[in-house]
Order: sequence, then structure tokens, then C-alpha cells
Amino acid sequence: MFRYLPLMLFVALWQAVVDLGVVDRHFLPSFTQTVAALWELMQSGEIAWNLWVTTYRSLGGLAIGSLLGIVLGLLMATSLAADRFFAPLVATTYSLPKSSLIPLFILWFGVGDVTAMLTVVLACLLPVIVGTYQGVKAVPAITLWSARAMGTPAHVMLRRILLPAAMRSILTGVRLALGFCYVLTISAEMIAAKAGIGKLIFFYGESGSYPYMFGGLLAIMVVAYASDRLLIAGMDYLLRWDDSVHASAEHE
Amino acid sequence: MNSESSRGAKSIAAIKAALLYSYPLLLVLLAWEVAGYLELVRPLFLPDVGTVLSQFWTLLLSGEIVGPLVVSLLRAFAGLALAVIVGVVAALTMARSKWLRWALDPLISFAFPAPKIAFVPIFILWFGIGNTSKILLVAFTCVLPMLVATYHGATGVSQQTIWSAKAMGTSESKLLTRIIFPASLPYIFGGVRVTVPVALITAFTAEMIAGGGGLGGALMYAQRFFQTPTVFVYILVMLITGFVFDHFMLRLRSRWIPWQDDTDAA
Repeated sequence: MFRYLPLMLFVALWQAVVDLGVVDRHFLPSFTQTVAALWELMQSGEIAWNLWVTTYRSLGGLAIGSLLGIVLGLLMATSLAADRFFAPLVATTYSLPKSSLIPLFILWFGVGDVTAMLTVVLACLLPVIVGTYQGVKAVPAITLWSARAMGTPAHVMLRRILLPAAMRSILTGVRLALGFCYVLTISAEMIAAKAGIGKLIFFYGESGSYPYMFGGLLAIMVVAYASDRLLIAGMDYLLRWDDSVHASAEHE
Repeated sequence: MNSESSRGAKSIAAIKAALLYSYPLLLVLLAWEVAGYLELVRPLFLPDVGTVLSQFWTLLLSGEIVGPLVVSLLRAFAGLALAVIVGVVAALTMARSKWLRWALDPLISFAFPAPKIAFVPIFILWFGIGNTSKILLVAFTCVLPMLVATYHGATGVSQQTIWSAKAMGTSESKLLTRIIFPASLPYIFGGVRVTVPVALITAFTAEMIAGGGGLGGALMYAQRFFQTPTVFVYILVMLITGFVFDHFMLRLRSRWIPWQDDTDAA
């Protein structure tokens, strides 16, 4: 409780500066106004629908991008030919701001799910490829030789040795990608969209209904925070056998 | 004679290596060119490589690349500089003050995963669509990663070192400037390296959403008028910009902090 006191103090301060007239209500609606607006949007179902659109675009894109990234990362780490083919492409596209593709994708695919999700997939792909590649490459050669010497078939190697050993590094990449996925979906929705929380925030901002704009922003911040916590909980569960996680936790 | 031929062999090997490295990129270019040649896609959607390159040259000569690029870079780096100053000062203070740590920790952990780009309409409302709102949005996006990176460095100083310094009568301000700040420098640099691309992306994206000039604004303008070759040129410029700065930061690191290894370069 004591830990969360600063958050409450922050909200109280926010409420106070608006109510006491320090800040103009037209520039910053008070906390209660924002919550009331959010409540209104909830009752009309507007916020739920738009949040759902943004969430499935973000997390759907994240899931596709992560799966592709793991497959490509595994391929690159285990086959020299695949590495030689994909490494230059990864290196070249790594520093491209993925949001710059949004206008091009709008031209190609129109406004909507495909444009938003494809951008998210591309943005999530790279950190997961890098995470997987580094994780697999870090598996000690002796482990691989021993497994091979014992006649372990390739699919067992993959499932029992490579993936578990690389899991920590893969998940680090996925968490990085989670940070990108909401940003890119919202960017795409603010540039052009028919639905989504980015569109909602932008629309209410343009039309001057600021309490609703802040309400939408508050909603997406909560969703992004919850997604991050959920992913961390999932990571802890998947890595519960990994000593280094507990060791580092104790260290801190 | 001997060295001459070995130099020749070396340069042939270098060319071979470069070809081996870049063949996937050349394949992509080839596929792009063939698709245009066979008229698989309309040039409105995918102009051929030559058109894009000649458009690049035209725009370069007319200053339509350099002008917007300078605007975007100034915004990105002004915002980044602001974020570094605020982030480092806040982190160093947090590392030394229990109360500030208590007060800021929950706010930071709530704000950290938030998609900052969603604040664009609010920054427009508060600061307009010009430089101020973009610079502050970049600063807002970069300040938390900078703060967290610096804080890790500042709290990484061993307690023994701090105790020894205090036992020798080091004042709190000297402790900060002479021990904790230098010890955090590699972490601060690491933070800057991570946030340089973030600053660029945020500046470009904010311009794409809100207009107000810069590369992002120019890109959206070209898209709205279906000037597809220009769209490709601006995307290419953004790619090169990101690439150049990433490599610049890597070189800086190997010069300034050579003891840090290169494993996270990828």
C-alpha cells in the first residue's frame, strides 16, 4: 500500500492543480473528469471495441512476428547458408524506423488491420531473431557434441536442448518487441484508421473533447502496463527452472 | 612484387567477401526490378529501382532531402539532449535519496511500458505542432530509458567504495561528481546508444502523425499525393540515417569505452 502511495499522491496533485485553477481545465481536464469520460466511453462500449481492435492488432502482430522470428533465428543459428542469406537483410533493415513503412503499406493494402499488423510483425521480428540467434549460439558446443554423440535426433535436439537453452534470450527479445507493438499499432491508427484506440485518442483530440482524449490515453496506458506485467509473469513461469533467473533476482 | 600480388589477392578476397555478404540484398533488388519489368505490379505501387534512384538525385539537388532531414535531426537530438540531462540528474539523485526513489519508482514503472506516441495529440494541445511539441515528445520518450540505465550504473557502485570515500570525509556532492557519476558513465553511454534510434523514430513518427515539416511530414505529403518514388526515397533516407547513427555510436563506444564487449551489437 505504502508503495503505491506516490501514485495516489500524483493523482491527488493532478486533481488539485486543476480544481484550484493553477492549470486551465481546457488544457488539462481533472482526474475525475477524465475518469468520468472514460466511464462514459465504457458504457457506450466505444472504449472496449477500440481497445480490442488495438490489442488484437498489437498482440496478434507480436505473436506472428515472434513465431517467425524464432524460426528464422533458429535457422540462422544452425545453418550457415541461412545465416549468410538473412544476416545482411537483418542488418540492413534493423535501423529502419518501421513506422516509415506505414504510408507505403497504406498505399498497398489500404487503411486497416493488414497495414497495422504487418508493420507490427516487421518491428517484432528483428529483436526476436536477434534474441533467438544469440541464445542458440550461446549453447556450449560440448552440450551439442554430447547430444549428437548420443544419437539425439534433430527434433529432440531442438525441443530439449536448443529451445530451452535459448529461452531466456528469446523472451528478452519478445519483451523488447512487446514495447514496439503498441507503439506501432497506435502510430498506424493515428496516421490513418477507421478504428482503434489511436484513432479514438486522435479523433477526440481533433474535435476538442479533451476529457475523452485523456480517458482513452489512460485506458491504453493501463492495457500496456498490464500486458507487460503479464509477459513478465509468463517469463518467470517459463524460466522457473533457470537458476540464473533466481540468482539474479536474489542479487538485486 | 610479392607484396603487390598479395595486396591484389587481398583486394580480390575483399571483393569476394563483399559480394558474398551483399548477395541477398542484390537478389531483393533484382526481384524488385523484375517485378517492375514484367509489370507484375503497377508502378504507382512499386516504382522501379531506377526511377527511385533518379528521384533521389532530383530531391537531393533541390534540397528536399537535406532540408527536412536537418529539421528532423535537430528535433531528435534536441529532445535526446534534454532527456539525457533530465534522466541523468534524476537518476543520480534517486540513487542517493531514498525518498525520491520511493516517490518516483511507481510512477516510472507505470509510465515505462506506456506507448508514448499516444501522447502526440496531448502534446499538440499543450505545445502546438511546431518544434516544441516534437522535441518534448522525443524527450518524454527517451527520458525513462536514460533514467533507468543511469540508475543501474549509479546503484552499481559498491557499498565499500562509498563507505571508504565517506570515511575519508568525502562530501555528498563530491561523492556524486567524483565517484558515482564517473562510475555511471558507461551505463549513461549505453543508454544514449539505445535511445538514439528511439529519438529518431519518435521524431519521424510524430511528424508523420502531426505534420509540421521534417522527414516524416515530407513522407506523408508525398504519400497523400501518390508520389510513390518520393515515398521510397524518404523511407530510404530514414533507413540510411538510422544506420549511420547506429554505426557512429558503435565506433564512439569502441573508442571511449573499449573494455565493453561487442556482444549486443548484432
